Amino acid sequence: MHIPDGYLSPATCAVAGAVMVPVIGVACAKTKEVVKDRHAPLLALGAAYSFLVMMFNVPIPGGTTAHAVGAVLIAVLLGPWAAVVCVSVALVIQALFFGDGGVLALGANTFNMALVMPFVGYGVYLLLTRNTSLTSRRRAIAAGLGGYVGLNVAALCAATELGLQPVLFHSANGTPLYAPYHLSTTIPAMALAHLTVAGFSEFVLTAGIVAYLQRANLPLLRINHSGIVDTDAELAPQSGRPALRWALIGIATMIVLSPLGLLAPGGAYGEDSPTDLNLHKYGLHAIPSGLQHYNGFWKHTLLGDYGFSSGRHANIGYVLSAIVGALAVGAVIFFFVGGVRLAMRRRPEAQADAA
Amino acid sequence: MRSGSESLLIGEGLSYAYLERFPALEKVSLEVSRGERLALLGANGCGKSTLLKILAGLIFPDHGSYRAFGEEVSAERLEDEQFSAAFRTRVGFVFQNTDAQVFSPTVREEIAFGPLQLGLAPAEIEGRVAEVTQMLEIGDLIERAPYQLSAGQKKRVAIASVLVMSPELLLFDEPTAGLDPRSRGWLLELIDELGRAGKTIVFATHELAELEWIADRCLVLSEDHRPLAEGAPAELLADRELLLRANLIHEHAHRHGAVLHSHPHERGHHGRAG
Amino acid sequence: MTDGASTPGWLLAGAEDAPPLLCSGKRRRGGAIEKTVGGLARLIREALVSEEIAARRGLLQRLDARVKLIGMLGLLIATGLVRHIPVLLGLYALTLVLAAASRIGLGWFAKRVWFFIPLFSGVIVAPAMFSFITPGEVVLPLGHWFGHEVGLTRQGLTSAALIVCRVASSISLVLLLTLTTSWSRLLASLRTLFVPRLLVLVLGMAYRYLFVLLDSVTEMVTARRARTVAAKRSRRGERAIASFSGGALFGKAHALSEEVHQAMLARGFSGELRMSEWPRIRAIDVISVLTCLALAILVVGGDRALGL
Repeated sequence: MHIPDGYLSPATCAVAGAVMVPVIGVACAKTKEVVKDRHAPLLALGAAYSFLVMMFNVPIPGGTTAHAVGAVLIAVLLGPWAAVVCVSVALVIQALFFGDGGVLALGANTFNMALVMPFVGYGVYLLLTRNTSLTSRRRAIAAGLGGYVGLNVAALCAATELGLQPVLFHSANGTPLYAPYHLSTTIPAMALAHLTVAGFSEFVLTAGIVAYLQRANLPLLRINHSGIVDTDAELAPQSGRPALRWALIGIATMIVLSPLGLLAPGGAYGEDSPTDLNLHKYGLHAIPSGLQHYNGFWKHTLLGDYGFSSGRHANIGYVLSAIVGALAVGAVIFFFVGGVRLAMRRRPEAQADAA
Repeated sequence: MRSGSESLLIGEGLSYAYLERFPALEKVSLEVSRGERLALLGANGCGKSTLLKILAGLIFPDHGSYRAFGEEVSAERLEDEQFSAAFRTRVGFVFQNTDAQVFSPTVREEIAFGPLQLGLAPAEIEGRVAEVTQMLEIGDLIERAPYQLSAGQKKRVAIASVLVMSPELLLFDEPTAGLDPRSRGWLLELIDELGRAGKTIVFATHELAELEWIADRCLVLSEDHRPLAEGAPAELLADRELLLRANLIHEHAHRHGAVLHSHPHERGHHGRAG
Repeated sequence: MTDGASTPGWLLAGAEDAPPLLCSGKRRRGGAIEKTVGGLARLIREALVSEEIAARRGLLQRLDARVKLIGMLGLLIATGLVRHIPVLLGLYALTLVLAAASRIGLGWFAKRVWFFIPLFSGVIVAPAMFSFITPGEVVLPLGHWFGHEVGLTRQGLTSAALIVCRVASSISLVLLLTLTTSWSRLLASLRTLFVPRLLVLVLGMAYRYLFVLLDSVTEMVTARRARTVAAKRSRRGERAIASFSGGALFGKAHALSEEVHQAMLARGFSGELRMSEWPRIRAIDVISVLTCLALAILVVGGDRALGL
């Protein structure tokens, strides 16, 4: 999701930068309030940590690996404002030093991954963890789901930024000047890659680390969870269940509906030419998300390797990729809904035990 | 306690617990006179580092009082700008973990950090940095980044960054841990030299071989974080029973002349040895 | 005390029970962990190479970091605004000239730029050359699809070439800055661009501790690998390892941050950071900045003169 320089027009970069400058200023001030004068080393180590999380390769089914962003993880551990600073700093170091993501595109990249992602993900996490103890199993799953949703919303933002380029910036004869793909292709492409592979790795890493800290190092979780009791037994019985169920249903609906986004834009923008409706797009457009070039994971993914250069051959590939993609999305939804249901089922048991 | 000389540090009944749950120090009292070299002796986890951090005004005891340079030291008083600047100028702390202490992008910035925070003039800072790097023989490292330094070089940088502020009181937390024999010898000589120059030195260690060289007096802490004994190094080192109790020596350790050391014994010998 | 804690017999036994030390011909596939370690090693290598180049005596190395930063940003924006391929190629040629003048091996420089990212960009933009992505004048027909002519379009080809050239020039410009400037100087120069001091401090420390944490990760992974006996490793197992290491690493990072804070306090840090003054701007620095900015304006102006 690291957009390099050259894909976004300077105007887009300027707008995103103008948004991010005050946001980072506020984030610095907010973290200063929370952690007082020790904010500098905490943020620095958080940023270094976030950088390294982006280097962690998480194995995914199919023999390949993907890496997570970790923004929601930092938000859960240190608070969302700290996550804004940490992930931004990590992105600056990557852009300046390791050529990962552009320098002018920093505004857009930080907007997607350092602002949208931690706040959306943290919001989901908060919704799902109301009236739970610090060691509750639901907390780890909620953090993972927060990561999953956060990453996907961030990917949607990136897709929108990229997809607007050919609409807004093209020459007189219709030549796109920057990223050439329309929203009708960028959104499904990013959605497909992030709803499956990248989203899964984000879920695994975020939930896994929170679960590990619940078992091995509870004081670290307390940094950003003051006033939350340690075990379910200490929970005061509350009638907050309906609200929680409502939130869970909301998330589940979101997950179920998100693949519809795959189809909707194709139809909406399909009037240009009938071929636009063809599912081949989704295969092709898995590629822009590959701006995360470290892993090169799509070299191996089911979708990246078919020969889109030959017109006739490609058709079979397109159809195949669409089927595989749909199956993969279905499997992921099944997995998450199952996980959420499992978490919900465990809750009453735990409360019964406590009572 | 020390006849005639003025007490620089007075700690009374110092207790500290981490996260208000895990005790690290239990009712420890100590007095350090000006120009003295005091060793804090104890096994791993006995509270030496905690005590040093209290002396440096980095953490504050849950119980007990601490006075330094004739003034009470507390969290509240250290929030006062003038008091804080005056106290920090007088107290230098060399951490055991040099990675934590050397946090700047380059050696030069690292050494200049302290003087800058204390508001020294740029020309003065430049002069001091040049002199202290020359003294510690790290002049050629000045533009390097910390990750390009060896453990011994990093230790020198850490010490330079403390000495550049010319503190009266120097606190060393396990100064020679993890250093090769050459760096270790160099550091012990430096500490000895600083002591001669009139600096007051408190250091934590469990290296008994170094004690007689660089300490005038030792305070032994037990594994339950309490004071166990106090006295001159030679006296304490002769007290085998005490050293065993503090878990500072293995039962196979013994002395050759002035040097205490241990070597592995074959299995099955302990019946006789103990 | 040693008498009580006797060593278990199996620890003293020889290696008779261990499997024979022979090759079975089965190879282990490089898993996620190996890839992670590989990526981490690459980071350190690149950092070291950059510092080495920054220490050479070349044209850009002689300029003030602030000058390079402002100049680079100016040219980067110009690269973003340019709309003609020949102009972009000219800009790219300029970066090659600057690289040569700064004693950066041209082959190495070009390889680094072209191999890593634009090649990827090339793959990404390839589909855009076709009529179904970028409609327009078909210059190389490939067949028919539902009655429409399908093939490479002039617009598509131009767009793909534009992107590849622009990405290559942009990356070259950023590389020129970072390769010829030591990190600490670059960091200090950020302050002159109104980046708050706190953020500069955090950036510097983050970079510094990146390497410390990197060591920890490498150690953890190596220790883990040394203990990996089973030939077959499950993905679930690797995932668990990733979470353990991730969790343990956060613990380390947090403990370190506490200690760093104390180290800063001990040396008089009081919440208000003071930083050293930056050396004076020389005439040559002013001239260089103005040259860069004039060049950027000239490039964009010339590009516009060629038409939109």
